[in-house]
Amino acid sequence: MKRTLWLLAVGTCLYAQAPAQSKKAPAKASPMQAAVKSGAANAAKVPVAPAAATSGRIKFTEFDLPNGLHVILHQDNSTPLVAVTMMYHVGSKNEQTTRTGFAHFFEHLLFEGSDNIKRGEYMKIVKGNGGQLNANTSQDRTFYYEVMPSNKLELGLYLESERLLHARIDEKGVETQREVVKEEKRQRIDNQPYGSIFTEVLKHAYTKHPYQWAPIGSLEHLNAATIDEFRQFYKDFYVPNNAILSIAGDIDPAQAKALATKYFAEIPKGAKAIYRPSIKEPEQVKEVRDTIYDNITLPAVVQAYHIPAQGTPDSYAVEVLQTILAGGESSRMNKEIVDKQQKALQSAAFPVANEDSGLFLTYSIANQGVKPNDLEVAVNTEIDRVKKDLVTDAELTKVKNQLETNFVNQNARIFGVAENLANYKMYYGDANLINTEIDRYNKVTKEDVRRVANQYLKPENRVVLYYLPKAK
Amino acid sequence: MILKHTLLGLSLLGIATSSFAQNPLDRSKLPVDAPAPQIKIGKPESFTLANGLKVFVVENHKLPRVAVNLVLDREPLLEGDKAGVSGFAGQLLRMGTKTRTKEQLDEEVDFIGADLSTSATNVYGRSLTKNVGKLFELMSDVVLNPAFPQAELDKLKKQTKSSLASQKDNPNAIASKVANVVMFGKNHPYGEQQTEESVDKITIDDVKNYYTTYFRPNIGYMAVVGDITPAQAKALVEKSLGGWQRGDVPKPTYPAPAAIGKTKIALVDRPSSVQSVISVVYPVTLKPYSQETILASVMNDILGGSEARLFNNLREKHGYTYGAYSNLSGDRLVGRFRAGASVRNAVTDSSVAEIMNELKSISSSPVSAAELKQTKNAFGGNFIFTLEDPQTIANFAINTARYNLPEDFFANYLKYVDNITEADVSTAGKQFIRPENAVIVVVGKASEIADKLKKFGDIEYYDNKGNRVEAPKAAAAVPVGMTAQQVIDKYVAAIGGKDALLKIQDMTTQMSTEMQGNAVLMTRKAKAPNKSMMSATVMGMEMMKMASDGTSAARTVRGNTTKLEGKDADQVLVQGGLFPELRYADNKVTSTLEGTEKVDGKDAYRVKNSTANGLTWTDFYDTASGLKVQTMSTQKGPQGEVVQTVSYGDYKDVSGVKVPYSIKQPMGPMTMTLSVDKVEVNKGLKDSDFSVN
Repeated sequence: MKRTLWLLAVGTCLYAQAPAQSKKAPAKASPMQAAVKSGAANAAKVPVAPAAATSGRIKFTEFDLPNGLHVILHQDNSTPLVAVTMMYHVGSKNEQTTRTGFAHFFEHLLFEGSDNIKRGEYMKIVKGNGGQLNANTSQDRTFYYEVMPSNKLELGLYLESERLLHARIDEKGVETQREVVKEEKRQRIDNQPYGSIFTEVLKHAYTKHPYQWAPIGSLEHLNAATIDEFRQFYKDFYVPNNAILSIAGDIDPAQAKALATKYFAEIPKGAKAIYRPSIKEPEQVKEVRDTIYDNITLPAVVQAYHIPAQGTPDSYAVEVLQTILAGGESSRMNKEIVDKQQKALQSAAFPVANEDSGLFLTYSIANQGVKPNDLEVAVNTEIDRVKKDLVTDAELTKVKNQLETNFVNQNARIFGVAENLANYKMYYGDANLINTEIDRYNKVTKEDVRRVANQYLKPENRVVLYYLPKAK
Repeated sequence: MILKHTLLGLSLLGIATSSFAQNPLDRSKLPVDAPAPQIKIGKPESFTLANGLKVFVVENHKLPRVAVNLVLDREPLLEGDKAGVSGFAGQLLRMGTKTRTKEQLDEEVDFIGADLSTSATNVYGRSLTKNVGKLFELMSDVVLNPAFPQAELDKLKKQTKSSLASQKDNPNAIASKVANVVMFGKNHPYGEQQTEESVDKITIDDVKNYYTTYFRPNIGYMAVVGDITPAQAKALVEKSLGGWQRGDVPKPTYPAPAAIGKTKIALVDRPSSVQSVISVVYPVTLKPYSQETILASVMNDILGGSEARLFNNLREKHGYTYGAYSNLSGDRLVGRFRAGASVRNAVTDSSVAEIMNELKSISSSPVSAAELKQTKNAFGGNFIFTLEDPQTIANFAINTARYNLPEDFFANYLKYVDNITEADVSTAGKQFIRPENAVIVVVGKASEIADKLKKFGDIEYYDNKGNRVEAPKAAAAVPVGMTAQQVIDKYVAAIGGKDALLKIQDMTTQMSTEMQGNAVLMTRKAKAPNKSMMSATVMGMEMMKMASDGTSAARTVRGNTTKLEGKDADQVLVQGGLFPELRYADNKVTSTLEGTEKVDGKDAYRVKNSTANGLTWTDFYDTASGLKVQTMSTQKGPQGEVVQTVSYGDYKDVSGVKVPYSIKQPMGPMTMTLSVDKVEVNKGLKDSDFSVN
C-alpha cells in the first residue's frame, strides 16, 4: 500500500497543475506534501488520548475458519455502510525473478469475473448496487475492497468469495489486462517525468532481495508467461490460509460471522506451503551512486538509505525524523531548501516501510539553474543538522501532533479501519496495534531521532541518484 | 477474550454448516439484499448563546477529534456594481487577524495538525480533541478580529481577474453566465455577474462593511461534532464567541423572476466554436429539503443522471456528445432546472430536438422498474457515503434547524426514496419538467447553427458577458475576381513585404501565460527556410515540444518523442516555421478563397489550405489590414477529431516585420492567452536547436 501511494503521489505531483486542494485552499499545500502526510499517516497511529481514554479505541473481533481464512470484524453502526475487504499476503516480493509483475497483474486479472460472474460484470454489479470498489498491490501484499450500503454485506461477501474460489483466468482476460497494465505502466512510470525513481532506487538499493523490483514488474515477463503459470500463481497464493477477510461497518457481528462462513468455509485450503522469500539482503558497505537520464528539464537528486523493517523500534524513530525533515509546509527541508534557499522546487522525504526491510528516501527537484551537486549539499546539510543537534521540543511536539492527526483521520472511514486492521494482523500478527501502536511513536525521544539519523543516514548506507535531462 | 470469541465463532459455524447440508450454496444467483438500512444520525443537543448564536452538538466519540462548522444564514445578496465582495471577505478572514499574520495563523494551525477554512458564510475547523481549545481560540480570532490586509485583497483581485478573463473564452462559463441572466435577470442575486469592473471597484472598506453587517452571531448556526460533550462544547463556544456582538442583519427580498412564457433561444455567437454548448434552463419553484425535493431529484436522475435517459439517447444512441445530463435543484429563493450537452455544430439542432423529446417523455412515457431501481440504489449509496464525513452530519443538524424540517427528515431520507413509485416519477415529471417554458441557451457558431435553431423558438442574441446584443451581421461578400493568392500577397505585404521577410534568418519568440496559478512558458524558434521548434514548459518541466529539422518532424509529450509522418508532419514542416506563406508554392500547398466571415466582429477572408498529404487548415485574414487574425485546424483528440483555433493580435514591428504579440490558443479544454515577452531575430540559431531526436 505504501508503495502504491508513493508511486501515485510522485506521479501526481509532477503533473503540470496541482490538483484542487480541499480545505486548506489558501496555503496550497503541494501534492508532494500531501503525499508525505499520507505516507506518514500509514504508519503513525492512535494517540494516548488521556482526556478521553475510550474514544478512538477501535473494537473488533477475530476468528479463523477451518480452511485458515482469518476474519476480522469491526462493528460501527454509525453509518449504514459496510467495507468488505480481502488482503492477500502476496506482493511482488513473492514473485520469481523471471516472472516479475505477477502480483500486480492479478490485481487486474481478478476483476475479470468468475465461474458465476460474467466478464465485465464485477464492477457493474458493485456500482449498480450503490457501491465503490478498487484494489492495490504493494511489494508485500495485495488488497481488494468493496464499500457498499450495509444491507449489501452478503453481496460483498459473495463477490469476494467468488474471486477466491474460482476466478476467471483465461487467455482473453490475460490479453485484456496485459493491455491495461501496459497503459498503466506507460501512464504512471514511462510517461511521467521522474516516474522511474521508485523502480531505479529499488534496482540500485537491492542486489539479492526481491525488493529489487517494483510491483509493476516487467512487461516482457508478463508477455512470456503462459496461462498455466497464471493459473499456478492463483493456486499458490489465492488460498484462504493466505488471506484476511476484514469487514468493518454497520454489521451485526454474529450475522456477519455466519455469512462469512456461508461464503468462505467451502473454499479449500491451499495444498502447499506459501512461498515466502527468506533471502537476506547483504549489508551495504559502500555508497552507490548513479545518474539517470530522463525526459525532464530540471534535475532531481534522490537519496535512499537502508533502514530496518517496519515495526522495529528504530523504524518509528526514523519516521519521526522523516516528518521533522519533510512533513508539511513548515518542515525543515521545505522551509530551508525550498522557501529560504530556493534551491529546490520541491524537497521531500518518504519512508518506504516494508516487511523485510525499508528505505528512507529523500527526493528534491532542482530549481532552474541550480546544479544537482549544490542541491545535494543542501539536503546533506539538513541531514547533518539532525545528526549533530537535537531537534527542539516544539518541533517534536508538532510532529507528533501531525502524526497523530493523520492517523486519527485515517481511521475516519470504515474502509480505512478495515484496511488498517488487516495490515496490523498480516504484518505483526496483532490487529490491536490499531489502538496501541501510537505508544511506539510516543516513546521516540529527541535523542532517538539523533541516534537513528547517525546510525542510518550515512553515506556508505545510501544510494544517490541524479536525474538529469536527456541530451537533446 | 479470544477464547470466548472462538467459541462463539464455532457455534455459529456449526449452524451454518448444518444449513449447507440441507441447501448447498447456490452461487449462480446474486444474494438478495437485506432490508434497506435505517439511518442513525447522532441526535444533536442544542443551545443558544445570549448573542443569538445557535449551537448544535453532535456527540460522537468514535475518533478523538472535533469538527466545528459555523454557518451564517443570510439571504442571498444583490451586490450590484461590487459583485464579489462577500466572497472576498470570506477568503480574507483566513488571511490575518489583528494579532496574527497569515504566516502565524498557518504555523499555529499546522502546529496542532488542524484544518481551518473560511468563506463568505462559513467558518470550518477541525482538530484532535486535545487541541480543541486552541482550535476554538484560532477560530474565534478569525471570526472576531480579522485584519483584512490590503495586500491580500490585491492578490485576490488579481487572481479573480485572471480567472474572469479565462472565463470569457470558456464556452461553458459563458453558457452558465447567460443562463443565470436569462433565468433570473441581472438585478437578481442569482443573475448578477461579477466582472473585472466590479472586482476593481471593491475596496477594503467594502469588505469590512460586509463583515460588519453579516458576520453576526444572531444569524449563525454552529455545529460542533465529535469527541466532545455538550457541556464542554458550551463552555468553549461561550468563552470564544460569547463576546461576539449581535447586529441587525438586513433581510432583503427579491421579486420572483419573471416567468419564461414561450420557449425561446438565447444564442451567444462564438465564431470559433466547433461545438455548441446547449443548456435548456428555467427557474423552478422548489424548496430545498422536502419529500417533494427528493422525488424531484429521483425523477431528474432518471431523466439526466449518470447513464440515464439523456445520456443513453444523445451519447449511446445518437453519438452526438460525450455526455448529456440534467440538474434540478431546490432553493429557498428560487430553484432551477438545467439539461444540457456539448455537441458538434452540425448536430446542434438535432441534439436540441432530442433533449426536448426526453424532457417531454419523462412525464409521458412510463418509467421502467429497472430505471427506478438503478436510481434508488445510486441514491442510497451516494447518500450513505456522504454520511461518513462528519461535516455531513453537522450540515444535517444545521439544515434541520434552518429549514425547520421534521427532526427525522434525514433519518428517513432513504425510506422516502424507497417509497417512490413509477407513477410518482411521472407526476413529478409533469410538475417540474417544462420544455414548453424554457430558455434554450446555446453558445456556438451562429453562422452554422442559428437558422436551424429557429424552429424551437425566437432567437435572442447575447454576448459573452450576458448582455443582449444585435444578431451578428454577415460579413461583406468577397469582391469579384479576388483570389486566395491575392489575400496571401496582401498579408505578406502587410507584415513587411517579401524583401523584409527574407532578411530574417531566424527568430526566437518567448511567450508566457498563467494557468491555474502556474507560469507557462512557450518558446518558439524558427530558422529559414523551414526549421522550427516550439516547446511549452510548466513549473520548469517541459510538457510538450514540436520540432522540425526541415526534413522530418517530431512531437514530444511529457518526455515521450514520436516521429511525425504524413499530415502530422506537414503540420510542423509546412504549416509551421518562419513565414510559411512564403513556402506555399515549394510545399505545393493548394489555397482556396472560400469567402468572408466575421472574426471578433470584423470581416476576414477565409482561405482554406491543403497539402498533398491531406493536411488542411483555414486561415483568416482581416479584409482591411490584411493581417492574419486566426487559424483553424483539425486535431485528433480523445473523442475523435476536433477543430482548434489559434487567434493572433497586437501586431508589433520587429526588425521591419510585423509579429503578433498576443496569441490565443487552446490548451486542453482551456484557451490560453499567450503574451509575447521577447522576440529576437538573426541570433544565429544552430541547427542542433531543431533536432528531432
